[in-house]
Amino acid sequence: MDHTPLIQIKSLSKSYGSKLVLKHLTLDIYPGQVIGYIGPNGAGKSTTVKILTGLIPDFKGEVIVDGLSMSNNPLEIKKLIGYVPENAEIYDVLTPIEYLDFIGKLYEMEENVLHERAHKLLTAFGLAANLNDRMDTFSKGMKQKVLLISGIIHNPKIIVLDEPLSGLDANAVIMIKELILRLSKEGKTIFYCSHMMDVVEKVSDRILLINQGEIIADGTFESLKQNHSDSLERIFSKLTGREDSGNEADAIINAFD
Amino acid sequence: MDAFIDKVFLRLLIVFYPMLEKAGVNIHQLNEILRVKLLMDNRRPKAMFAARKRSAVADQSSVKSQWLIGVFALLMGFFISLLLLLNRAPLLGQSLYFTIFMVLMSLTLISDFTTVLIDTRDQFILLPRPVDDRTIAVSRILHITIYVLRLALIQGLPGIIMIGFIDKSVFASLLFLVQIIEATFLCILFVNMIYLLLMKSVSPQKFKDAISYFQVVFSSLIFAAYMLPRLINMSALMHIDLLTHWWAYILPPVWIAALNGVLIHAHQASMITSLLAIIGFTLPLIGLWLVAKVLAPGFNRSLAELAISDGNNNTAKTAAKSQKLDIRDRISDFIASDPIENAGFRITWKLAARTREFKVKVYPSFAFVLIYFLYFALNTRGGSIGQKFNQLQNGFSYLFLVYLSTMILSSILSNIAQSEKYKAAWVYYALPINRPGKILSGMYKAIIAFYFLPYCALLTIAMTFIWGPGVINDAILAFLICTACGMLLALLMVKGLPFSRPISTKQAGGKMIMSLIIPTVIGCLGYGHYLLAKHELVIWIMIIPAALLTWLMLHYYRKQTWESIELDEM
Repeated sequence: MDHTPLIQIKSLSKSYGSKLVLKHLTLDIYPGQVIGYIGPNGAGKSTTVKILTGLIPDFKGEVIVDGLSMSNNPLEIKKLIGYVPENAEIYDVLTPIEYLDFIGKLYEMEENVLHERAHKLLTAFGLAANLNDRMDTFSKGMKQKVLLISGIIHNPKIIVLDEPLSGLDANAVIMIKELILRLSKEGKTIFYCSHMMDVVEKVSDRILLINQGEIIADGTFESLKQNHSDSLERIFSKLTGREDSGNEADAIINAFD
Repeated sequence: MDAFIDKVFLRLLIVFYPMLEKAGVNIHQLNEILRVKLLMDNRRPKAMFAARKRSAVADQSSVKSQWLIGVFALLMGFFISLLLLLNRAPLLGQSLYFTIFMVLMSLTLISDFTTVLIDTRDQFILLPRPVDDRTIAVSRILHITIYVLRLALIQGLPGIIMIGFIDKSVFASLLFLVQIIEATFLCILFVNMIYLLLMKSVSPQKFKDAISYFQVVFSSLIFAAYMLPRLINMSALMHIDLLTHWWAYILPPVWIAALNGVLIHAHQASMITSLLAIIGFTLPLIGLWLVAKVLAPGFNRSLAELAISDGNNNTAKTAAKSQKLDIRDRISDFIASDPIENAGFRITWKLAARTREFKVKVYPSFAFVLIYFLYFALNTRGGSIGQKFNQLQNGFSYLFLVYLSTMILSSILSNIAQSEKYKAAWVYYALPINRPGKILSGMYKAIIAFYFLPYCALLTIAMTFIWGPGVINDAILAFLICTACGMLLALLMVKGLPFSRPISTKQAGGKMIMSLIIPTVIGCLGYGHYLLAKHELVIWIMIIPAALLTWLMLHYYRKQTWESIELDEM
């Protein structure tokens, strides 16, 4: 494995008004790693992702991707990253081909390369029959597949996935999990955010747990298990201070009395 | 057809590309974004313009409303083109024409296109891609331009034909076309520059509020500027020589009119006219360059922060407030005691007070009423302002003011059922509500209690100062009658529960005639009131049946069932 980090985050802080969402986050990510990024709601997960993908240009600290600084060179970094956002909007009056054509051209890809790849990817994702249908007739899962493709169409070095499995059926989930492993073998670096612990457990080779703007656990699933508990779900609730979830459920039941 | 027009417009824009490229815009991406946006617009069966901010729900009446807007623009264009007949002073006539033209355009822009400029919905599609600020900002402006240009051309068509006859040359018509494009472009740039400046100077959390207040104030101002100068005697205006006044030099419509002055009426033109014409021609270009070069950087960032601020800004505020029971909550308990009605009451005023869309559309009508009143009241023949005021004080014109206030009710009612987040209204359908009329009556009570009544109370106080305490009984009677008539309006205009329907320009067709009849009814009632106004006692007595009538109507309004409410698919 390469030992110059692909992504370096140094003392990254971000606040909304007086509320500090990220507290001096420091992190090195190496090429080919699959990072499972987990944390409770409001922990700062999506803020980190949005900074990393250049959606929030306003932050303190340093983000360096492939030797480029996010503050000076956001456009160059965006070219390296493929991003599949959570609950994403899509221009659903377009057909998948038209949409991918649009996205690819924003990356300034060559038209014939772009079209060939779009066709191949859509076919591989099982959308061959719908190439020229407008997406407003698509199911949530089909749209999600198009979004996934739009995140990898330009063959990025880094792929950031934010809850990419939402709306997908069981077969598609298995396929995506397989895809993530394959992509990482191809040398892609994957940043995977999710609440689904079982998937994170399986696909990631490094797990980061963030809570209240700080990373409180960092390591392989195996090493986390040794230090804490036996399933990722347990580890999660133990470290984020919700071990007493039994008590919470009690309180809820008691509220009806 | 539309696709063809779009292609033509896209081609036309290529003129600007070299200049934009110099200013740092990525031309290929720009072209691609515009192409796709136009393509998408054509696929949505929507009104000609102003549709882009709307959600994806197809609206059958859109084709009709597209025609309506077109016909309206054409008519408007015809009326203002009559100004061009001021042939003795072509410069003046054209300046007036373009003043009104630009005012109308700016109003349309501000009311319909603000949302397009600061639309944050596609940020997840565009921002993660390597597209820079300038390209996105310019693409938005050009996209708006294409739409506004269509409208402008329809509105300008009568003028184009008219000027051909007046100046007896086809060249004048062609030139007029150029002038119209120039005027439209100036408006777009002007409005956008103000927005971009605001974006740069105000924190994103406050930006949307700042914009909405700007919209309210600006549309009121433009409306006033549009109505009140009509009080000036037109024939006196004929003899004004514009160019002897220094202020004429800084008015954009004069620059545009100067173009015609120089090229068609060359014998009347002077050095100054030519200079003005040159300014008018180069300024849009300089403006666009300025936008791309100076104002656009940071645009994406502001957009991103805007989208985020939507979710994050209110946390601190609400925590502090929720402690004590709001007095308005107590009012709501008092006026609407039925639980379902109470829910309708509270949801209405809370959403109304916090929804920017709603405020921006409704608040200007408060000012419009006053401006209309001033216009009609002072629009009497002869006399100085002082004399007119005396006349006003002796008459019963204040009645007119109160009855005119139903405009506010109508404006509120036509917007109250619409919301961008209409999907949240699924709760109404999931809950065991037997009579939606209760929610509607709660809604109506909230509108009266928090908008109409305070406004009327303020009016009454102001009127008491001008006309004396004799107006109080009239104000009460008029208020009751307006409230009752407002319910008729509500029956017709509010076709859904509060904030439960996607935003659309026109309500379902067929009701047009009725919505014309009701103002007539209000007018007649107002006239009847006017005839009786001399008899103070009669007015006092009339209050009793009016109050009964209002109560009775509210009683029946509450009985509405689900059948009378148009459901939307969720």
